[in-house]
Amino acid sequence: MTRKAGRRVFWAVSLFLCLAGFLISLLTGPVRTTPGDFLRFVQNPDRVHSAIFVDLRLSRAVLAFLVGAALALSGAILQGYFRNPMADPFVVGVSSGASLGAVLATALGFEAAAFGFSGPGLLAFISGLGIVSLVYALSLRRGGFKLETILLTGIAAGALASALTSFFLFMRSDSYDQAVFWLLGSFQLAEWGQVATIAPWIVLCLLASVWLARDMDLLALGDETAQALGSPVRRVRKVFLAMSALLAALSVAVSGVIGFVGLVVPHWVRLLIGPSHRSLFVSSALAGGTFLLYCDLLARNLLPAELPIGVITAAVGAPFFLYLLHKKR
Amino acid sequence: MSPEKRPTARRASRRGPANGDMHRRVVSPFLSGIVLALLLLAPAYLLPENEEGGHGPREYVPHPAQVITDDLGRPFPLPAATPERIVSMAPNVTEILFALGLGDRVVGVTRFCDYPPETRSIPKIGGLVDPNIEIIQSLEPDLVIAFRGNPLRLVDRIRKLGLPVFVLDIGEGLEALSPLIERIGRVTRTERRAAGVAGLLRGRLEASDAALRDGLSKPKVFVLLYGQGLWTCGGQSYVNDLIGRAGGTNVASLLPKKWALYKREQIIKDDPDVVFILARTVGDFTSGRDRLLRMPGIEGVAAARSGRIFELDENAASRFGPRLVDVLERMAALLHPDRFGGRR
Repeated sequence: MTRKAGRRVFWAVSLFLCLAGFLISLLTGPVRTTPGDFLRFVQNPDRVHSAIFVDLRLSRAVLAFLVGAALALSGAILQGYFRNPMADPFVVGVSSGASLGAVLATALGFEAAAFGFSGPGLLAFISGLGIVSLVYALSLRRGGFKLETILLTGIAAGALASALTSFFLFMRSDSYDQAVFWLLGSFQLAEWGQVATIAPWIVLCLLASVWLARDMDLLALGDETAQALGSPVRRVRKVFLAMSALLAALSVAVSGVIGFVGLVVPHWVRLLIGPSHRSLFVSSALAGGTFLLYCDLLARNLLPAELPIGVITAAVGAPFFLYLLHKKR
Repeated sequence: MSPEKRPTARRASRRGPANGDMHRRVVSPFLSGIVLALLLLAPAYLLPENEEGGHGPREYVPHPAQVITDDLGRPFPLPAATPERIVSMAPNVTEILFALGLGDRVVGVTRFCDYPPETRSIPKIGGLVDPNIEIIQSLEPDLVIAFRGNPLRLVDRIRKLGLPVFVLDIGEGLEALSPLIERIGRVTRTERRAAGVAGLLRGRLEASDAALRDGLSKPKVFVLLYGQGLWTCGGQSYVNDLIGRAGGTNVASLLPKKWALYKREQIIKDDPDVVFILARTVGDFTSGRDRLLRMPGIEGVAAARSGRIFELDENAASRFGPRLVDVLERMAALLHPDRFGGRR
């Protein structure tokens, strides 16, 4: 199969799965609803069904899709940025920093909502971006800019944030139940307000990353080569790092930390459609959104009580990642 | 856009003449991106907040003159009549609703609500921190009673669906029990019955206080929660208050927590006169007692030597409801059998 045909098949299948995912999301849930109920609702909306179909299920599906798209795009950007297939929002410390913020807010009882985020969500957002800025500033101090430095600084800062998170969890064990929401992620509280808060930024980052995709392609040749070929390397790097951090922090702020989407989805897409970043970014966003949509379906329908979605993404993502690793050898 | 774009690009190229062409590609989308972002962000703040207004609850008609505030300080319009379909988001609220004779109007409870036994056949909405909003909505409640232990975000999410949610604070001491019942009575418009139930409990509390007045020795009490590890109640727990009112001293009352892990050495040093084990069943109690007694050093503790190790109903003691007074009376009688004539 040629690459172009492969790309077409990929797009057709992804779009189909995505639409099917939305439909299934609308029709399944703890309250039994049939397609007939849904058609009757479309013709003649009543309050209870409008709340269940539109306010609860559709907003949740849309939010899951957006967060999946954001995480996968963030991962795709970071893997290109570090020229490292292991990169994901965890390596620059965003995810760990954000969960620290959320757990801190929960432990301190900081719950007031602002800017469309809940209290912990807002603190997660701020601390996620804060830790990346810190990592970046630390990596820049010693003269030149080195990829390894920022990677290692990010991992160290992430480990520190995780340790502090565990410390606050331990100190305030009574807030543990609520902290699980932030540590493993959930879309249970999805609402249209959150969709409206994050959607514009995600669309914006997607457009910007497509715009700058060629510069990302050049980066793959090495910074000096890219510079020689006319790419403003430092500026491009700054913009991409900021975008990936913003995407990851937004995701955590609305849904908690969800692992593995940012790591696995870009790989999967790269295998199917090749490494060109322009199509990789768009396809990763589509595939990531669809992937998370289905993960959320499992999370809310697998057991009578809801599972944290991080459990599902890791359970599906980890075996797939292992498979990829061994196939490469 | 284009007249704005040109000067930006020119400035950028002046700064970096070597690759000015590329700068235009990077800088202008970045700047225009910020402008675009601000435009795009607007809908998030313009989105209508249908918290109170919007498609508000239709089933119940609020009495226009009567708006009370819940324990979060939020206004709550009192229904004109007793709600028909009540969802309870906490076991003690369920228990109080049943005590007020509203059992047949409770349409949804948590999976932890198991008292009175009738609650078992009522649809479950999930747990305390993970109730399912969709199920709550499908029950079409005209009153949802939540408490502070339910995540606030979740309570807000339910409110945004247009359901009337009343949030209660769970009290710290036994004094708060009667007001809590009266408050639930107020919001369910069963004020008279609530006053009766609360008055009865107050009377029992006063009777117990009176029996324990003046010249009382205060035995040292250690409370053990059956399960893994030595969990006990600290000074912030209402069980601590319960012990005090029953005429005892909680050895762990200085711990600034509700529940805390205790150290074996500390128990030996405290030398409690009485140990209460909070257990669900007699089997749990005996295995908890045996495990405690097998621990090296515990056999020398006063309670172990005198055999004053007693069971308390964990189910009743762990819920801030009417049965706490039963627990109190049992505790007081066990701590001071002389004053209660060996009633129990």
